[in-house]
Amino acid sequence: MNLRAIGCNVESATVELREKLAFDPVKTQKALAELNARYAAEAVILGTCNRVELYLARPETMAPLHAPLMAEFLSEVHGLPAQEIAPHLYEHADAAAVRHLFRVASGLDSVVLGESQIAGQVKEAFEVAQKANATGAMLNTLFPAALRVSKRVRSETGISQGHVSVSSAAVDFVRQVFDTFTDKTVLVIGAGKMGRLTLNHLAELKPAAILVTNRNAARAEESARNCRGRVIPWEQLDDALVQADIVLSTTGAAEPIVSRTRFEEKVRRRRAGRTLLIFDMAVPRDFDPDIHDGDTVSLFNVDDLKRVADRRMAERRRHIPAAEAIVNTEVAKFVADWNRRANGPIIGQLTAEVDKLRETILGPLLAKMNGKLTDTEKASIEQAFRLFQNRLLHGPIAALQEASLEGHGGLREALRKLFGLK
Amino acid sequence: MSVSPLQGVTHACFALSYLCALLLEIARLLWPATGWRLASLAFGGAGIVAHTAYILYNQPTPAAPYGSLLLLAWVLALFYIYGTIHHAKQAWAVFVLPVVLGLVVLSLVLVSMNPASTRFHVPDWAAANRFWGAIHGLLLLLGAVGVSVSFVASVMYLMQARRLRNKVLPDDVAPILSLERLETMNRRALNIAFPLLTAGLFLGSLLLPEAYRFGGNWLSVKVVSTAGLWLVFLLLVYLRYGVHVPARRLAWLSILAFGLLLMALVASHPFAVGGGS
Repeated sequence: MNLRAIGCNVESATVELREKLAFDPVKTQKALAELNARYAAEAVILGTCNRVELYLARPETMAPLHAPLMAEFLSEVHGLPAQEIAPHLYEHADAAAVRHLFRVASGLDSVVLGESQIAGQVKEAFEVAQKANATGAMLNTLFPAALRVSKRVRSETGISQGHVSVSSAAVDFVRQVFDTFTDKTVLVIGAGKMGRLTLNHLAELKPAAILVTNRNAARAEESARNCRGRVIPWEQLDDALVQADIVLSTTGAAEPIVSRTRFEEKVRRRRAGRTLLIFDMAVPRDFDPDIHDGDTVSLFNVDDLKRVADRRMAERRRHIPAAEAIVNTEVAKFVADWNRRANGPIIGQLTAEVDKLRETILGPLLAKMNGKLTDTEKASIEQAFRLFQNRLLHGPIAALQEASLEGHGGLREALRKLFGLK
Repeated sequence: MSVSPLQGVTHACFALSYLCALLLEIARLLWPATGWRLASLAFGGAGIVAHTAYILYNQPTPAAPYGSLLLLAWVLALFYIYGTIHHAKQAWAVFVLPVVLGLVVLSLVLVSMNPASTRFHVPDWAAANRFWGAIHGLLLLLGAVGVSVSFVASVMYLMQARRLRNKVLPDDVAPILSLERLETMNRRALNIAFPLLTAGLFLGSLLLPEAYRFGGNWLSVKVVSTAGLWLVFLLLVYLRYGVHVPARRLAWLSILAFGLLLMALVASHPFAVGGGS
């Protein structure tokens, strides 16, 4: 099938090299056009923060494109020495390249196993190449198939189940408790880095209000500006806790800022049984863990969230064998289908050539015996020749189909040469 | 003599359909794949069709325990289909279908214990009150639907709350609606069921003295459990709107109310000949 997947990822190249090899939209267009023109190759360039890959397909009659040649090409595009790139490139050929793309699209080759963003990135890379007229029959079949496989893997296995980051685990807990967010108040205590990502996630839920409080008024102002929140003076923390539905605490205080006694006396009594979710992202912790009752007040610290995230990742890993099995089945199916499709013209040509040969022999023979044979005898001779032709071709055609199922197209070339086909 | 095709529909048709739908839902949660949900819905839908056909053909009376259980199961089966389609990602069926199946099985047990329990004979002295009796039965049946919905929401609520207390996430194994949504569902069920039960019981209490002049018993299981159910609901209304008791305690009370409802449904009606026991 003359397909190659050549590139580097987090395992084969450092982030510095990957950054240097990154394709911006202009470079992508230029590189796609160059790959088409210079190497007569269909091409798709897949670039994410974890990988830079070229998917290249050429007609089978042409020599395949190898990693060293592509290292030179990348060196030319990015202005880097080829020897700096070449050692970090991997190369997958034919069925292995199909398998690689299917695994990539399914998130099996991702740093965060099963992440779903990659499927969108594969789709986008393919669409960019299609718009640039850089794809042909091979890649136009391969990439949609990869996206189908990705979908199948995700729907039939648990490889993408649950979020696996600490901040998204926090949001998942929020969703288990609350249904609507437009009437909810989020209180942010402190301005620690740990909570920033979680706050971004919470802000996406579009709560009614985000309150920000900090011992340092200037930092509170800055945080409030970043998240479009409202500053609450530090002295009014208890009132803010009464008002809040979700609390995100990230101070750098050495001691807990809300003890159980303080919470019971100044907050809980005034909440009228309303549910409160507290995410204590600070280390050391800001809230006394005994505040958690799992009923009206649920308190989660970083360890709780990390435990959930780790468990989910372990759960995803459990689905790897099933996902790999789907990928392997689909690779075999794709390769067999592709080869069968590629066999069509060869079989057609071969049959036509032998038809022509039969006519060349049978035509003069029948003309020579004209008048000596009845119509029935003529038909019998024609039938015998046809049978001979079919029996002669049956072996090569069956062998060709069998080779296709096994995934190699070498016999196709052999038949071309043996029978002088174009 | 022509035989209606509906005659062939039996309990087994819809009970087994619901059971298959439930098993397929469980399978979907354990081994996620799109096919399970469709198959489950197909079986659930078939169950409802058979259930409807059975009710149309046999016309079980809601006044008899057998009929009231079957009709309640039918309404809850509709609730199951609605929820499964509306909350497609949730493990809805796993909570609703066991209740539907339980009610169907209970009705079957009643029939096997006493085949006469499928019938409800209105005595002559009560024939004049037939219309009000029907209204009374309808109000209580609709109230029972509210109590059952409240039960299902409460079970889900307690499960979800337990997960939160233990700081675990469902991880898509058995996703349940949020606590807030379940609490809202429970509140709405209570708001609807309480007035219906009150009106139904009020009407029943107006009809009962007539029955007891002919030997009825004010302390029959049905009367006592129904009165208990109403008192629990009154308590629920007070605790919810009067003193803002935590939702978990309200959920337990709702489960108790459902238990009393079952007792009331299973007990024979004091209006029936030989009832009141």
